[in-house]
Amino acid sequence: MAELTLDGVTKWFEDDGGRIVAVDDARVEIEDGEFLVLVGPSGCGKSTTLRMIAGLETVSDGDIRLGGRTITDEPPTTRDIAMVFQSYALYPHMTVRENMSFGLEESTDMPDDEIRSRVEETAAMMGIEDLLDRKPGELSGGQQQRVALGRAIVRDPEVFLMDEPLSNLDAKLRSQMRTELQRLQEDLGVTTVYVTHDQTEAMTMGDRIAILNDGKLQQVGTPLECYHEPRNVFVAGFIGEPSMNFFDVDLRNGSLVAEEFEYLLSDETLADVEGHDRLVLGIRPEDIELVGEGEGRHDFRTAVDVVEPMGDENNVYLTFADADRAVATDEETETFVATVSGLRSVESGQKVVARIPEEAIHVFDRETGEALHNRKLDRTEVPQPNI
Amino acid sequence: MSSPPASPNPDDHTRRERIEQTIRDADRTRVALYAILLGLVGFYLAPLEAGLMTAFKTTDAFNRTVPFLPPVADGFTFEPWEIAFSEMSNALVNSLLLAVPATVLSAGLGSIAAYGLTTIDWKYQTALVALFVAGIFIPYQAVLVPLSRLYAIVNTQELLSFLWGLPMMHEHYASIINLIVTHVAYGIPITFLLFRSYYQTLSDEMIEAARLDGASVFSIYRNIVLPLSRPIFAVTLIYQFTQIWNDLLFALVILPSGGGAAAPVTIALNSLTGGIVESFNTQMAGAFVAALPTLLVYVLFGEQFAKGVAGET
Amino acid sequence: MQRLRDVLRRLSPRRGADSGDRELRADGSEQTDRLRGSSELRSDGGVATAEETPTETGRWQSLLSSDFVQSIPFWLPPFLLMGFFVYGAIGWNLVISLTDFEGLLLPEYTVSEFDLEMYRRALSDPSFWTAAQNTLVLLVAFTAVCLLFGLLLAILVDQEIRFENTLRTIYLLPMSLSFVVTAKFWAWMYNPQIGMINVTLRQLGLDFLTLQWISNPDTKLAAVIFALIWQFSGYAMVVYLAGLRAIPTAHYEAAKVDGASTAKMYWRVILPQLRASTMSAAVVLMVFALKAFDFLYVMFGNNPGPAADILATMMFREAFGSNNWAYGSAIAIVLFGMALAVVAPYLYSEYRRGEL
Repeated sequence: MAELTLDGVTKWFEDDGGRIVAVDDARVEIEDGEFLVLVGPSGCGKSTTLRMIAGLETVSDGDIRLGGRTITDEPPTTRDIAMVFQSYALYPHMTVRENMSFGLEESTDMPDDEIRSRVEETAAMMGIEDLLDRKPGELSGGQQQRVALGRAIVRDPEVFLMDEPLSNLDAKLRSQMRTELQRLQEDLGVTTVYVTHDQTEAMTMGDRIAILNDGKLQQVGTPLECYHEPRNVFVAGFIGEPSMNFFDVDLRNGSLVAEEFEYLLSDETLADVEGHDRLVLGIRPEDIELVGEGEGRHDFRTAVDVVEPMGDENNVYLTFADADRAVATDEETETFVATVSGLRSVESGQKVVARIPEEAIHVFDRETGEALHNRKLDRTEVPQPNI
Repeated sequence: MSSPPASPNPDDHTRRERIEQTIRDADRTRVALYAILLGLVGFYLAPLEAGLMTAFKTTDAFNRTVPFLPPVADGFTFEPWEIAFSEMSNALVNSLLLAVPATVLSAGLGSIAAYGLTTIDWKYQTALVALFVAGIFIPYQAVLVPLSRLYAIVNTQELLSFLWGLPMMHEHYASIINLIVTHVAYGIPITFLLFRSYYQTLSDEMIEAARLDGASVFSIYRNIVLPLSRPIFAVTLIYQFTQIWNDLLFALVILPSGGGAAAPVTIALNSLTGGIVESFNTQMAGAFVAALPTLLVYVLFGEQFAKGVAGET
Repeated sequence: MQRLRDVLRRLSPRRGADSGDRELRADGSEQTDRLRGSSELRSDGGVATAEETPTETGRWQSLLSSDFVQSIPFWLPPFLLMGFFVYGAIGWNLVISLTDFEGLLLPEYTVSEFDLEMYRRALSDPSFWTAAQNTLVLLVAFTAVCLLFGLLLAILVDQEIRFENTLRTIYLLPMSLSFVVTAKFWAWMYNPQIGMINVTLRQLGLDFLTLQWISNPDTKLAAVIFALIWQFSGYAMVVYLAGLRAIPTAHYEAAKVDGASTAKMYWRVILPQLRASTMSAAVVLMVFALKAFDFLYVMFGNNPGPAADILATMMFREAFGSNNWAYGSAIAIVLFGMALAVVAPYLYSEYRRGEL
């Protein structure tokens, strides 16, 4: 009933005759009750998109529909949308109760006692019923955050918009609120658009995530789709921590040829990349295996440059150490990362063999960045989160 | 009285400590500093002190004694104050009738204009803002002749003739109304600027939150912006009150020659001679009578006045 | 059911044509209610025939509900009032200055008879040149000394002294007084026989320094400027103090670490950072100087004499003393031009810095 559709939504700003496009032709259909995370680096247009949905920013082109109703030109007041801001934006002169009642008083004809009971219900749900008669200035950051959420929830809107709502909290409280927010959203079943620059937040919270860069929508999909089947280099590099390793390679005689190594492709993979010869090879750190000895065609001799122990795992920075070309050019040694178990001891300077399994590689076109071949997923079952 | 605006921010402290250290090294500098500062207090207060002393002296006494010394024995009198009060009491009432509504109205209009042009984003906003702000710097001489023409054409006394029959109303209030309108109109630019710079500090997200809460432009002003404007209203009201109370020029031009029954306190003080010879004692008493409300406001709300003054930049 | 009733209520003709409309526009809440009603209509689709094409309605709606339209009731009435009195009056003044309006007759606004005669008259009037010159001297000397004095005061007060607030309050106090009051005080201070200045000088045995301060043409203007500095230097102090407090502590420390002396630190590091304060204080002080009319009028009456006559007093005398309305208006326009020359570059630079 309250599915939200962005149909070619575009935003440009006029600037000294020139036009700066902030959001370019964004198309997403957000289903009723879905939790969509809009993620991207700062300045990518994600906040502008959110503000267009809210009606705080005019739409230059395209349409926004909510439950089949076009709301593109409607003022924010009538859209039946609630938003949680990064700064919480509570009204400092009003008590928590007044903060939460204000929206109901302004946007509905609800009688006072009904407003009162709804506010109290919501406050109880959020665990802030003891704070109702305090003013925002007397609350901690976490409490203010809850009030801001409560203020949105009490209005029972068709859509929640959240603009980096957790970024002002400290790390511990943030992860706690993350879970709580997810649970709340599931219970309420309200369509939610959540903006963040933090890919971890995006991966953990969203039913689907929409990745934006330079005002363009790069990919919309479930977190695991975006992780395992990125549509392009940007998505592949943006999602995942540490980032995917990339190598510029050329396709020669069925092999990917880089300065330091050659990677022989199977016929199956070759078929995917046919017709492109300037390529990028991508491999996620956790897919690289470090083995003691190996002479396979996808085994490479490397040296450990730096080890970052994370506790549960180690991030191992490797350099290609081809024994034949032992001229260790210390400057400009390009490293790539492998993630191995934290219990395994790896030391700087150690020689290891890195195995890059072919079923885990991604190949992109170097010019367009488009993914030509993604990893095989037959080993892992993709869970269906959207049920 | 006024409290320090200097916030106890940690940077200030280290700076202060450093300065203090330097000064401990040179105690003599410190003594000289306080001596200079005290001397300056003398400089700023001397005219007031001499005036106050003179206001309590008989004509004979102020002609013979040193101005800044207090009156002695038979040189002491309250007479100048009695004369000043009796000659200026009507004018005090007029000034109050003029300054209070004009202050409130100009602050209110400045507030809504600033709200209309600050929290709402509009392409030609800057041009309008510039027109408002430029109004602060107009030399009033450039509007005096038109003003006198205007009030010669628009006869407020006739237009509002239905009012004068009412109890407590007098025909000379028509002139005061003219003055109120004038002061309100010329007060708008400065009140606009004061409110605008304050409204610019309000959080955009908060206003947006209110819009998403379904509040109309009017309701946002009424329920969010206005309640948050209290401190800047204090600043503006205090500043405008002193400005309007202190004005002479508009009263000279708009009121019938000599001020008539509507003369505000500045006109009354200017024509207060207190006799044939120049009786400085009466004049000084009159000056204090005229300055008393503004002095009172200043002493009580010095902080707000200082802010209003600084906001003019 | 509720919704239907709402719809019916909203469709029924509005009461009172003109006033009703204005009410709706002035009261945004009512308007948004109305919009909400019609948008609901559209989503129901039932009454679509009664409306224009959807896009046009949408555009019309969005125009009506746009921030701009809703902000009009707020800024337009104050703007009209202010605009009429400020810009309307200046325009009117300009027109009068082009006529020959004088005496007790009514002005005649005949476009064909507009000329620059009054400006020519001013240019050939020696007293105009004297007044213009005095105005400039007053403007420059008053502003410069006030700034310098205010800066020194601010630096002294910024030395983490005790009673800072009391001192600040005292230094700024004269500014809260009316020109009428301060002129009365200073007329008394300057009185040659029994005024405080001369009496004090005599007590100190400095009889040769006693002068007829405000009747001697040589000292008249200086005496006026001195009194105005007394009244407004506190203002310059307040502005500079705010400027000093805004400079990061690190700059003082860096200068100290670099081994600069206190004087050198202020001169090389602190002063250059006070440019913005200087600029805004200077503009406001010049505006005060242009408004110094009240002070001169109380001290000297209509005619301060050539030594202290400024354009403001001359304008008033010509217009309201001698009924030379057109001539007075022309002088006022010159004065306005001077103010504009000071203020326009300032406002423009504020605009460029995005601070308007």
